[in-house]
Amino acid sequence: MTHRSRAVGVGPLPGILAGGGLALLAIVFFFPMAWMVLSSFKTNAQIFRTPFALPTELDFGRWAEAWEVGHLGQYALNSAIVTAASVSLILVLGAGAAFAFSRYRFRGRRLLMGLFALGLLLPLQSYFIAQSQLFNQLAITDTRLALIIPYAAMGLSLAVYLLKVYLDALPDELFDAARIDGASDVRVFWNLALPLLRPGLATVAIFSALAAWNEFLLALLYIQDDSLKTIPTGLLAFSSRYVTDYSLLFSALSIVTLPMIVIYVAFNRQIVEGITAGSVK
Amino acid sequence: MKPTRAISPYLFLAPAVAVFGFAVLAPLLLTVGYSFTDWNGFGPMTFVGLDNYVRAVSDAVFRGSFLHVLIYIAATLVLEVTVGLLLAGLVSARRGGLWFRVAIFTPVMLPMVVVAVLWSFVYNADFGLINGALDAVGLEGLKRVWLGDTSTALLAVSVVSGWVFAGFYMMIFYAAFRQIPSEVLEAGRLDGAGEWALFRRVKVPMIRNALAVAVLLCVTGGFQGFDLFFVLTNGGPYGATEIPTTYLVKVVFRNGDVGYGSSMAVVLTAIVLGVGLIYLRLQRREATT
Repeated sequence: MTHRSRAVGVGPLPGILAGGGLALLAIVFFFPMAWMVLSSFKTNAQIFRTPFALPTELDFGRWAEAWEVGHLGQYALNSAIVTAASVSLILVLGAGAAFAFSRYRFRGRRLLMGLFALGLLLPLQSYFIAQSQLFNQLAITDTRLALIIPYAAMGLSLAVYLLKVYLDALPDELFDAARIDGASDVRVFWNLALPLLRPGLATVAIFSALAAWNEFLLALLYIQDDSLKTIPTGLLAFSSRYVTDYSLLFSALSIVTLPMIVIYVAFNRQIVEGITAGSVK
Repeated sequence: MKPTRAISPYLFLAPAVAVFGFAVLAPLLLTVGYSFTDWNGFGPMTFVGLDNYVRAVSDAVFRGSFLHVLIYIAATLVLEVTVGLLLAGLVSARRGGLWFRVAIFTPVMLPMVVVAVLWSFVYNADFGLINGALDAVGLEGLKRVWLGDTSTALLAVSVVSGWVFAGFYMMIFYAAFRQIPSEVLEAGRLDGAGEWALFRRVKVPMIRNALAVAVLLCVTGGFQGFDLFFVLTNGGPYGATEIPTTYLVKVVFRNGDVGYGSSMAVVLTAIVLGVGLIYLRLQRREATT
């Protein structure tokens, strides 16, 4: 850094340096993904001989093949079902619980709030051994429920906590007025609280959906049936079936990655807010 | 607000408590119970008192797994939190475009399995990016089988973790930086402070809370890391990357030693909760002083 730039504060040189630094970093971070997509258009021989060369043609043939032989459509469908079901459960049950904690005073409130707060810190390892035993005995293992139930349960702690923060910020008068108008508890919840909670629900939906879409450990332990596997475990099974067909694997990875980039570009503000709120609040 | 019927609050809570109790709380208590038994998951269950815990303490693999995870956590504190902080400083000093944030944040959204499979190719000894880059700049001597070498495997996994989460922490810090009142920064600039001095003396101290949260997340999350390790090395080579979570899964789901595995799960849980509670205590003290 030059003397001149120090004196001026945001001088032109540090600006250029920072800009150049940013560009360089972006390239370093992006390179593995770019390499992945480029390699998917090459043959295995080309990948080995010239790993850095650009592909000679943009042939999506291997993508189609990966989609077919890799059952990627089936895995994506399974992920979508499990994600949609667990997120819906989290939103409905979480909003109900947050409403009770925020608007009512009742016996056992502190204890129950403490239990959900504990869930914020508990590692998965604290309960998954007995959970798998339980699911085995109830014959839930190897059904979609084996993922939907734990994903919903794991997401509830944070959902209850965040939604309660949103509800606590609403003025009491709003609820008292509705009560004077003779609205029942259910009506106050459904017609007043839920619509006001919409931004909070959107945030909760985003981080719950990403967590469910990407969850790996439970999916690995509970689902053996290939037709029920979600994207993470399905992709792992796929990669061990075609260990050395690199161009096919690069194609499969690209197929899974590109939609996420599109989703991020489209909703980046909400996603960043959802993910960071999910951890910081 | 008073409920119209006294039972209403409980009815609103019942479904959430039922799901949470069934899938988390009951299994949590059962796991603690299992930890005092010798059990393979289906045969007879024998009560053995603290035997499993005694065994865990003297189990060299288990102790080694904690050493590995501590090294991993130390590495990720640098590669994720520190790098994330520097990135946030860069982005906030000069607003980065959307593509910069896309490049750095996309890995956070990807399933870890995708990341792991991709990086197993990046590290590939024959056509991987790392060895290829070393070849290109004439440093063939540094080429390694990165994930197959006991001296580099743990660090190699940590680098992947950094690639994923640096963007995540960058976003946390970036949001915190934006909370700083612009007058404070303007005052600093008028005093002739450069961007680096401003970053170190003003911006970073002012986001102490966000930093504390990030360190907590990085440490507690580090103890629970599993996906990357499982796919990239699954404990190997020769146990060099065995961490408590991967060892636990082997003991319970491969060896069928449910009792012993449960005691390790309880130890891991106690550590994570302990770190979390110490953090809360510190936060509270800071709030009162």
